[in-house]
Amino acid sequence: MLLTPDFEARPVINFQHVHKTYPTGTEALRDINLEVPEGDFLFLVGPSGAGKSTLVRLLIREEKPTKGKIFVDGVELGRMKRRKLPFYRRKVGLVFQDFKLLPNLTVYENVAFALRVLGEPDHKVQSRVAEAIDTVSLSGKEHTYPANLSGGEQQRVAIARALVHAPRFIIADEPTGNLDPATAWEIMQLFLRINARGATVVMATHNREIVDLLRRRVVAIDAGQIARDDRSGRYHDDFAQSQVRAK
Amino acid sequence: MILRNLKFALNSAWQSFWRNLAVSLAAVVSITLILVLAGVNLLVGHAFSQVLDGFRQKVSEISINVSDDTPLQTVYDFKQQLEGDPRVTSVRFITKDEALAQFKSDPQNVVLAQQIEGNPLDAKLEVHVANLGDVAAIDTLARRWSGVDPTDPTNYQGDFVNRMLELSSWLSLAGVGLLLILLVVSVVIVMNTIRTAVYHRRKEIEVMKLVGATEWFVRGPFVIEGVMTGLIAAAIALGLLVVAYPPAVDRFKADIGFIPLSYDPAFISSLAFDLLLAGAMLGALGSYIGVRRFVRI
Repeated sequence: MLLTPDFEARPVINFQHVHKTYPTGTEALRDINLEVPEGDFLFLVGPSGAGKSTLVRLLIREEKPTKGKIFVDGVELGRMKRRKLPFYRRKVGLVFQDFKLLPNLTVYENVAFALRVLGEPDHKVQSRVAEAIDTVSLSGKEHTYPANLSGGEQQRVAIARALVHAPRFIIADEPTGNLDPATAWEIMQLFLRINARGATVVMATHNREIVDLLRRRVVAIDAGQIARDDRSGRYHDDFAQSQVRAK
Repeated sequence: MILRNLKFALNSAWQSFWRNLAVSLAAVVSITLILVLAGVNLLVGHAFSQVLDGFRQKVSEISINVSDDTPLQTVYDFKQQLEGDPRVTSVRFITKDEALAQFKSDPQNVVLAQQIEGNPLDAKLEVHVANLGDVAAIDTLARRWSGVDPTDPTNYQGDFVNRMLELSSWLSLAGVGLLLILLVVSVVIVMNTIRTAVYHRRKEIEVMKLVGATEWFVRGPFVIEGVMTGLIAAAIALGLLVVAYPPAVDRFKADIGFIPLSYDPAFISSLAFDLLLAGAMLGALGSYIGVRRFVRI
């Protein structure tokens, strides 16, 4: 069953006039206003250097905004105390382009790692990890090390790790960036399933085909500003133009 | 949950210690050397304090020579007066005969004793003073007493006592200074070792932070690893010192016989406690500082 986001409800993610300028003077984001309702599936698109990754870093509170406020689940991230940050991150599942798997741990151990950090008991770890590995269709590869997996399989492990603690938000930064089109599509299916279970997904991507095919909400960022916010959008605002560009 | 986290931290620390064995061993060797130096410092300090205690014992006992014509009652009265003084722990009256017998019993005085005719020695009041600093006051009191031998009132040597007290405080200060330098050096060594370990595991730390590990969850294994390194180094240093201590004392005694240095097995347990505690604390502190910058969420 597909969950339809309620755009009238109170947003779970809310950017209010957010600016981000790095100490080097680079102005990465300017006056970002963005509301994301619970259960939404949102693509962040835009050219390299547009500010997508900065927006993701702000969302996981690796960076603080220079100006403006970011609310997630009613809590303002900029004012959040450092000691509370780990507990916020436990609500979030993170997926990255470079997978960020630990090479000396097996598939099972990598996924279990997210639960060990939370201090979950062994029996809970076992059942949840088995379920997550099953969700990403990697059963049978539990004892394999990341080096012996394909790129797509490694990204599945990363997704299993991101969803094993049942987070309310999944934040993905170019999750298909290192994958071939067929594998990228498989990975997207996984994200759709996770979203269908109720998790809000925010994904920064360059993958035009996927964005155009899925027709989900698209927020385009250009030169640090929101250039477009379509509820059912495409990678480029002018589809015909994008076709020309693609050719 | 705390137990589970502790188990995770212990496992993690143990794995990290072995995974970075070369770096871990380098740290163990460096800290061992420092703890051996610290241990030698403690042992030498202890030996000298034993020697100084012996001297203190001697100089905190003052011998008051009683003039031959002093009536016995006067002596007893003064003895009683001294015994009532809170600064005095004991007073012993030694008669002329006892003083002579004591003199003769000393093997150093054999030749001299044969030449003595009659008994030229004074009767004595041997007064033991609780605090070395009060000996001078008791000496003054004795010199004012009517029964004291005016030609040789007491055996008190103020200058010697003062010099010894001064030497003792300088030695303690030097010991403490040396210990402090050694402590700082070892903290820096552990800090750098742990930084190397942290660098090797930076990816793991990044993932830990991203999945919601608390700072202490990330830091815990490194602090435990530091404590482990410190304890192993302390155990090795202790072993080396225990083996080397008795022969070193024997050698010292053979070379510099006039300083009454002695082997004190009872001090070993105190040394063991100090070294193990220092090793654990240094390891923990070095790791805590070394890892701080990297684990900050």
